[in-house]
Amino acid sequence: MAARFYGLPLPGIRPEELSGSLIVVEGADGSGRSTQISLLTEWLESEGFAVETMGLRRSYLVGEDIDGLLAENAVTRLTLALMYSTDFFDQLERRILPALRSGLIVLADRYIFTLIARAAVRGISRDYLHGIYEIALRPDLTFWLNVRPEVAFDREFKKSQTISYWESGRDMSLSNDLFQSFVRYQLLMKQEFEYLSNRHGFIELDGEASVSEVNRALRTRIASHLAIRGTQYKPSHALAHLWR
Amino acid sequence: MATATSEVLTAERPLAERAPARQAGYPGALVVVEGIDGSGKSTQLYLLKRWLEIGGYRIHFTEWNSSPLVKSATRRGKQRRMLTPTTFSLLHAADFADRCERQILPLLHGGYLVLADRYVYTAFARDAARGCSPHWLRNLYSFAPVPDITFYFRAPLEVAVNRIVAGRPKLKYYEAGMDLGLSLDRAESFRIFQERILSNYDQMIETDRFVLMDGTVRVNRLQRLMRQLVAERVDLTRFAPKKK
Repeated sequence: MAARFYGLPLPGIRPEELSGSLIVVEGADGSGRSTQISLLTEWLESEGFAVETMGLRRSYLVGEDIDGLLAENAVTRLTLALMYSTDFFDQLERRILPALRSGLIVLADRYIFTLIARAAVRGISRDYLHGIYEIALRPDLTFWLNVRPEVAFDREFKKSQTISYWESGRDMSLSNDLFQSFVRYQLLMKQEFEYLSNRHGFIELDGEASVSEVNRALRTRIASHLAIRGTQYKPSHALAHLWR
Repeated sequence: MATATSEVLTAERPLAERAPARQAGYPGALVVVEGIDGSGKSTQLYLLKRWLEIGGYRIHFTEWNSSPLVKSATRRGKQRRMLTPTTFSLLHAADFADRCERQILPLLHGGYLVLADRYVYTAFARDAARGCSPHWLRNLYSFAPVPDITFYFRAPLEVAVNRIVAGRPKLKYYEAGMDLGLSLDRAESFRIFQERILSNYDQMIETDRFVLMDGTVRVNRLQRLMRQLVAERVDLTRFAPKKK
């Protein structure tokens, strides 16, 4: 299925050339997003599809610069939003579009929606943000792994023994209590995602279900999109630890 | 609940339709110079700045693309020639947003006369010449305060191009617009690129209320005119040194 753009295509791109598929997985930290991407990659490769991935701060152009800005906390919300959009379009234009032209399956570990939501909860106008990303590719499928903030908190804390400054929205002065700050921030993000889900037609999945259940739901939708029958999958030894 | 603390980013209308700086709720004023390379704008703004400095006025001078924030990314992108029209534009927008939020706006609120060597019109003219959609660019920069005066220095293409080509041993890759594949000859590519930019500037004269300045007029005569226009349009007493 040909991927399309929201508004005008990026300069110099012919949408009909893009024969691959763009599949997006969105969700908060702790929603199981990255685990699912790893499993889907293995499944698709075992089915014979070549896979490319993208995510946040992974561009050669500014990925490391954003890491530096986040560490300093001196950056303003607008500048940060625009640095993230630079990071996004650098990956899209130089890595993802060539992959889609070659017929690959692109799995995006978050996409423009997280970027829009983060900036919107910080008071930047939604119209402004949609205006910037109107030249982005419209995904073939967008999944939203929805979890309650409390569950995300438990999972994140278990994983890294701490909660990140930005994921708890501490730049927004919501609460001095880290747990409260995290929950309030994630609730704001969730509201923004509800809005985006209606506007862009997300496929919402229960991120609190077991890894294997979520994975089966993802595979069913993706298999139908790719018109393949094989939805049977058991993770290899290397990924078996993710399977719960 | 997060609140939008700033009045930036609320305007979705094009710059030209919005109120000039003085009605925008801050005591400062913004004077901008625009024009293609070699039009004489920087020389004239420098002389204006000297005049105001010597008079003891509260002023601040700022120029396009001068913040350390995106310097490493810009350098990296230019060295490897990996900037696309979109990422080139976004990187400059991030840089401008940083300057705007941390320098220009606080100074305007603090009652300064801000002098800007190039402003958002540079992005409108140059990035559109690279193929970005003018509509997309207007949205991208819609957070920028509207100048009180925008001087547009206009010199005939050949005059401006000769000033630059004669004074520089080698034109840089992006400066010459080599990324557009206009010509293999740098000087020729530069000329074609500047011609496009000039035509884009010309189209903004009315919509953005540019004050047209003839870049072929003798430097001191042009400066006299510039000072006269600034004095007429900006209440300079607001920025004058306090009498004791």
